[in-house]
Amino acid sequence: MNTNPDSGAGRRVRVVIVDDHTIFRSGLKADLDERMDVVGEAGTVEQAIAVIAESRPEVVLLDVHLPGGLGGGGREVIAGSSALLGTTSFLALSVSDAAEDVVSVIRAGARGYVTKTISGKEISDAVIRVADGDAVFSPRLAGFVLDAFGTAPADIADDELDKLSARELEVMRLIARGYSYKEVAKELFISIKTVETHVSAVLRKLQLSSRHELTKWAAERRLL
Amino acid sequence: MTTAVQRPALVRSSDRMIAGVCSGLADHLGWPVKFIRLGMILACFAGGAGVAFYAWLWTMVPTADESAKRNARRPASPIAPAVSLPPTAATPARASTAYDAGLSPAVRGVPAASGASAPGGQASGSTHGAGSASGFGATSADDWWGGSALASWFSFRKIQYGKEILLGAALLLVAAILIARQFGVDVPLGTLIPAAAILGGAAIAWMQLDETRRAGLVDKTKADQAGGWVRLAAGLALVVAGVLVMVSGSGSWEQTWLALLASVAVLGGVALVLLPWGLKFWKDLETERAGRVRETERAEIAAHLHDSVLQTLALIQRRAGSEQDVVRLARAQERELRAWLFSDAARESGLLADRIKSVAAEVEDSHGHAVEVVTVGDTQMTDRHDALVQAAREAMFNAARHGGGTVSVYLESTAGSTEVFIKDRGPGFDLDAVPDDRLGVKESIIGRMKRHGGSAVITSSSDGTEVRLTLPSATVDAGDQRNNDVRNGEAKQ
Repeated sequence: MNTNPDSGAGRRVRVVIVDDHTIFRSGLKADLDERMDVVGEAGTVEQAIAVIAESRPEVVLLDVHLPGGLGGGGREVIAGSSALLGTTSFLALSVSDAAEDVVSVIRAGARGYVTKTISGKEISDAVIRVADGDAVFSPRLAGFVLDAFGTAPADIADDELDKLSARELEVMRLIARGYSYKEVAKELFISIKTVETHVSAVLRKLQLSSRHELTKWAAERRLL
Repeated sequence: MTTAVQRPALVRSSDRMIAGVCSGLADHLGWPVKFIRLGMILACFAGGAGVAFYAWLWTMVPTADESAKRNARRPASPIAPAVSLPPTAATPARASTAYDAGLSPAVRGVPAASGASAPGGQASGSTHGAGSASGFGATSADDWWGGSALASWFSFRKIQYGKEILLGAALLLVAAILIARQFGVDVPLGTLIPAAAILGGAAIAWMQLDETRRAGLVDKTKADQAGGWVRLAAGLALVVAGVLVMVSGSGSWEQTWLALLASVAVLGGVALVLLPWGLKFWKDLETERAGRVRETERAEIAAHLHDSVLQTLALIQRRAGSEQDVVRLARAQERELRAWLFSDAARESGLLADRIKSVAAEVEDSHGHAVEVVTVGDTQMTDRHDALVQAAREAMFNAARHGGGTVSVYLESTAGSTEVFIKDRGPGFDLDAVPDDRLGVKESIIGRMKRHGGSAVITSSSDGTEVRLTLPSATVDAGDQRNNDVRNGEAKQ
């Protein structure tokens, strides 16, 4: 993963970790590098909403599956913190990898999704990227997007939400192939910032698309 | 009391003229079916005894299918009359207890059964008159489990056939009476028939109560249940009619009708009173059944976790020194668990994506490097796709062997073509520098893809190596794709 010089040396990102496994929380805390401060932790939906409202972090590392609340897990935490969505970004963490879970938490407002097996360096980079307002796509999420939106590009003039542009498709495809943002940028002769713009655009489409097939598709595709 | 000759179970056979009673009987007795049928027809002229007997067997003897269903839940009984009960447990001890607990009133008359030693003693202690209530009232669980403990010393064999023999005796008696009448002997039918109706009806009803109750505990197929209620109603109707005829002293029809109306009204009132109680009983059954299902499920999960996760954790502890082994074990276990949790039985297996994933698993197991597979679209396997999988396998092995860290595999299958990308983050290599005699890359990957009309492109730099395998669809119908995507070329390859 690329380092992000924009984040500045002096700036520290305030992070809240939400996961019901204490061991995982402490491991993740140790994994995050010196660029971020963990200002809060929570293990249930109710706790998470309270801690987030109180500490107002820039980034919430959010487990998709959480006990408590109405059973909605991470989705419910985002919904419960919707007033803060402007200042707080959510990065979904999951072991499940099930399309339904991932897509639902993204559509609820998360800025990205990574698997829990991710390395400490990668998770730190992902947190910084989310804090900068960009989206974080794992190869698998990119695969979901390609599967859900189809691999046919939209017409150039078409700015509809249900299709990806040719360029967005290229970016998604490269991410699915395991390319980092930097490698994507190099491959397509564009800047990293442009890659991030494309990814954010895809994220927006993923969140806003009214395409009912998207939900249906995710529900059908439980396996992964 | 009986000889222990092993006979085929008495079931209604599928080789049938009417209901398969005769051929079933023939099988059971080992007599030619012709004689049985002839005998049955002859008996029909003996005052309709044959008809009654046939109807009786038709109602009470299960079909071969039903019997098989029952026997699947417990060891085969030498005789499988409908009145025998399908108990939950498959142990003979419990089966015999169930027999006992479910004793029909007829059998209660047999001395061996009415002894105080019988686990069902509390049930048999109840009078016939209260029988219908006690049939329900004798709690299932108590004499069930208590009985299973007692079963070891309870000599059940003595009355094993008691019910059937009593039944047979009763039928013979009926036949004798009917034949005697044929010969002009005066039999007080006016008294006998109502009395017989009462006895018979009560017997049917009581048997039915027991059966219904237990069937409900084990599993209630709707048909069984409906049949049970019909028989119960028939039994009740018989009793009521018999009592009425007896009481009214074979009076006029008008009188009988009135009495019938009154008794139905009374019965309705009783039913109304008992209904909430019955419903509660029903709910208890449901709860118990749901609990049992949950228990079974839990046991299955526990068994699976024990066989897989716990074993793996034990292995990991023993190999704690070797990081690679630990990672490999953990990954393999994760894969297995995921497949078990999320596998979709409805999904067709043997498609390309599954093959690629299984190959990736193989590579992961042998080299201990994580192989992340992302698939978009899927297609049926063909010989050409087999070649693609083989080439991908080779590329994955190379990536795991020479590259470092995670290997990324991406499969995209559209109507036009299928592409597989294998990317590693190793130091890279110079393709031109690879000697021609190295089969790995040149033959197994590039050559193989070319032979099957595809292509392989390898790009390598210091950041890593990527192998791109492309296989165009041979014909339009080669893939069952979800849409007719037109592949857009990538900006640079």
